[in-house]
Amino acid sequence: MSAPLSARGLRLVRESAVSRFELRIENLDVEAGRVLAILGANGAGKSTLLRALAGLEDPAEGRVLRGGEAAVTMVFQRPIALAGSVDHNVRIALRSRGLDPGAIDRRAEQALSHFGIADLAARAASGLSGGELRRLALARAFAIEPGVLLLDEPFDDLDAAAQESLSKDLRRTVAQTGVAVAVVTHDLRRAVLVCDRIAVLLGGGLRQVGPREEVLNRPVDLGVASLVGMTNLLPAEIGADGVARIAPGYAIPTADSSIRGSAWVGLRPEHLKVDIGRGEGVSIGTGEVVEHASDGILTTLGISWAGHHLRTHLVAGRGMARELVVGDAVSLAVRPEDVHTLPSDSPRE
Amino acid sequence: MNELDGLSLLAITLRTLALCGSSLVIALALGVPMGIWLGSRNFPGRRALLGLVNSGMGAPPVVVGLLVAQLFYRSGPLGDLELWYSTQAMVTAQVLIALPLVVALVVAAVASLDADWALQVRSLGIPPLWRHWLLLREIRLGLLAAVIAALGGILSEVGAVMQTGGNLEGETRVLTTAILMYTRMGLFESAYALAAVLLGLMLILAGLLTWVQYGEKR
Repeated sequence: MSAPLSARGLRLVRESAVSRFELRIENLDVEAGRVLAILGANGAGKSTLLRALAGLEDPAEGRVLRGGEAAVTMVFQRPIALAGSVDHNVRIALRSRGLDPGAIDRRAEQALSHFGIADLAARAASGLSGGELRRLALARAFAIEPGVLLLDEPFDDLDAAAQESLSKDLRRTVAQTGVAVAVVTHDLRRAVLVCDRIAVLLGGGLRQVGPREEVLNRPVDLGVASLVGMTNLLPAEIGADGVARIAPGYAIPTADSSIRGSAWVGLRPEHLKVDIGRGEGVSIGTGEVVEHASDGILTTLGISWAGHHLRTHLVAGRGMARELVVGDAVSLAVRPEDVHTLPSDSPRE
Repeated sequence: MNELDGLSLLAITLRTLALCGSSLVIALALGVPMGIWLGSRNFPGRRALLGLVNSGMGAPPVVVGLLVAQLFYRSGPLGDLELWYSTQAMVTAQVLIALPLVVALVVAAVASLDADWALQVRSLGIPPLWRHWLLLREIRLGLLAAVIAALGGILSEVGAVMQTGGNLEGETRVLTTAILMYTRMGLFESAYALAAVLLGLMLILAGLLTWVQYGEKR
């Protein structure tokens, strides 16, 4: 079955008096029943790509193909409020489609209550707060029951509870309706929570696209690794035994047999284990806690190890005898299959 | 020449309203699409066009009247139409006076919208006719300001309508030209009666604008 929305040989150009920007996308599919997260640094062209996918921006080359008649709709980073009530904002696109009044009522009421703004229905949309306006924009888009939903930074302006609720709504709607979703977000954690696939924009092109786990754990280069949160990147010498030597007395076992000699070793923070005697992974020795930040649920530790600054995350109540503090020595462990290797000439950008 | 009677006052007022109303409708029919186009597009020469519109706002009506009068004068380019000293010539002058005001205020209203406004409405799959209606709804305050400014400009204008209409009794005499005439004749009572009507009309206009703006903010 063809994807409801595909980009083929796309070249997008933006020119102003002071700058020129070009983005090339050879192949990208937004698949039915899946959420694609589009990641990239600021100015990588994420929003431009989304607009092109929505048919709102003409590419200099290439085509955006629609696999069916289903509507494609986009929720912008800074949504607008149309003149009139919140209710009018949700109903207008439905009315313009000539739906019968019963269907309009049902869809509008459903969308309003779904996003928790049913009690604001009669209010002027121009008076909404940022978060309320975001929820209105989402309700407006969901009410259309689109075949493809493109979301540009949908979690902005939402409080933690609303972010959580939107993530759940997205997953549920995708499962129930089979809608194809593409999300642009700078919030990696949120993207990981909602997406099935990840596309990474880097250096004016689509550097990597694939299933979530693959992109997160097997980034194709250092640039992608940094963007997808693989922050522990260490230069190493990988021996024939598969052990990556970082510094005298410091080594990391790898399960990857493809690279030997000078290389980079990558490890996601959540894969660097603070060993509390459970026997998780292979010990790589001891490090010193040099940084400690906690939001009460998640603790991020900076650890000095082999002259490098490593990061790891701990979830509260994980079983530590006490809260770690700066200066503590900690035993570290990794699972060889979690360790990623990249060639020494892997591009950083 | 006698003082103005009630019937004549009514006739002059109705003629004034009919002429100004026609001019306003034509100016809006031309100016609103032009303003939307100028306000929402970016193309080479846009600035020059905006400059022309702004200059038009400040153009002395008497100069506009002169140009239109010459256009319709017997020996002028449109002399064969025999429209000199006619209501059609007056409407032409009034449209030219009102048009830059309408265009400029609509441009300002459209430019004040979010840069992505049109794209966001398009992304909802709303058909073009509906999108135009939504845009007019969105810029309604700017449109209202354009109506008030244009109507105010042409209602109170005297030079151009005198040059193009000639103040012919029962044909082209309107409130402003009649006030001018009665003042020249020293018939101040009649002039004041006409002035009171003109002022009343202007006050109604101002009141309408205030009422709508206040209603919007509530």
